[in-house]
Amino acid sequence: MDVLIASTLDAFKLLFSGDTQIWEIVAISFRVSTLAILLAIPPALIIAFVLAYGNFFGRRFFISLFSTFLSIPAVVIGLTLFILLSRQGPMGDMGLLFTQSAMIMGQFLLSLPILVAMAHTSFQAADRRAWETARTLGANRLYAFFTVVYEIRFGLMAAMLAAYGRIISEVGASMMLGGNIAHYTRNIPTAIALETSKGNFAEGIALGAVLLFLAFVLNALLHHVQGKGSINS
Amino acid sequence: MIDNFQFNFRNICKQYRRQTILLDISLTITNGDCFIITGENGAGKTTLMKILAGIEKPDSGSISVNAGAATSWRRCRSRLAQSMMYLHQQPYMLTGSLRRNLEYTAKLNPAIIDKPAAVDQVLHWARLEPFESQQAISLSGGQQQRVALARAKLRNPQVLMLDEPTANLDTDSRDRTLSMLRTFKENGTAVVISTHDPSFFADLGCRVLHLKNQVLTDKTIMPSAVADITSYLKLRGK
Repeated sequence: MDVLIASTLDAFKLLFSGDTQIWEIVAISFRVSTLAILLAIPPALIIAFVLAYGNFFGRRFFISLFSTFLSIPAVVIGLTLFILLSRQGPMGDMGLLFTQSAMIMGQFLLSLPILVAMAHTSFQAADRRAWETARTLGANRLYAFFTVVYEIRFGLMAAMLAAYGRIISEVGASMMLGGNIAHYTRNIPTAIALETSKGNFAEGIALGAVLLFLAFVLNALLHHVQGKGSINS
Repeated sequence: MIDNFQFNFRNICKQYRRQTILLDISLTITNGDCFIITGENGAGKTTLMKILAGIEKPDSGSISVNAGAATSWRRCRSRLAQSMMYLHQQPYMLTGSLRRNLEYTAKLNPAIIDKPAAVDQVLHWARLEPFESQQAISLSGGQQQRVALARAKLRNPQVLMLDEPTANLDTDSRDRTLSMLRTFKENGTAVVISTHDPSFFADLGCRVLHLKNQVLTDKTIMPSAVADITSYLKLRGK
């Protein structure tokens, strides 16, 4: 217990002492995960929309497929991309392995099924009249799509937060694809894993605290926006 | 005023889970027309109106516009969506204020040059000025119906379709709806109304079409001998 208290105190001292190494790790984490989620959102919304509103052969199969991908372990995605990006792999010439781009690819693939599955649920729960009203008011399909997206924005925001929380805290794919290289591909979860294995609990706890704080800020933000959207306000 | 137009729907068929809902429905809509579609619950009135409005796909049938060549519904879908406007039984209010709902519609109509002025004008026309900043979803059923008609006014469609527009409305709201519909008709907009109460719309001088056993019959002309509307239209040479 004493170790935990002492390490926690040291962790906060580290955070507020302006330790550049810590904040560099935090910055890499945010950069990689934010880019990955931003890249994943547009295709995920389109796939979710087509699955919810489309009427085509194999629709149910694709819905089940994306739901299955929800539970795919990060290391499996890491392994698959590692094989593809390694020198002998079909994408080896691109030289992406152990770069931030490889980490973004891994996190993109991790977040996509979460976004698709949760956004699909939101689209399905949305009032069908929203789409029909937009169309009948003269909106083209793209504009009507954005209208529906706006109508269900809170559900979609929850999906984005869930996906962001998943990718910023995953360690398997980042470790395999980024290689945990200091100042380049070392992000919060890989740094926590490394520091813990070295017995530097203070650094691990400091980085963990940043993750927790991030989760709190994102959730508070979501609740604030949802409150603004209520009809009573 | 609305320019002259003619939509010919021919042999529209629709099935749901192998059960036929609409069978060889044919209908011609021109400017200023007014149709009332009656029928029991589940007869297919809403489905028919959604097909006419380009929202729902029929299984078969063809459409020709302004005496042009007959084409499939799929090819004509955009044209239908452009020209027709379908109003739900319970109109859907977009998130935000009443004014935002009208601004959204005005933005989509390129013919409107001064959009804020057009919105103000329509607010006045629908007597909705006191509620313009209110959340649209919090308005009463009658007020929401007027918002839907105000949006239709901004949209200025060639054909306006209303699904049970007076259901669940009080007498005052029903009267207002009727008077607003009259202005659409006077403007040359064709009006198609699905209702269980055709007598309420008698003032509009509508033809009453009855949907029963998957077939649309005209009850205005031949109330005693129910006849297929197709036969009637053929007699009229349409």
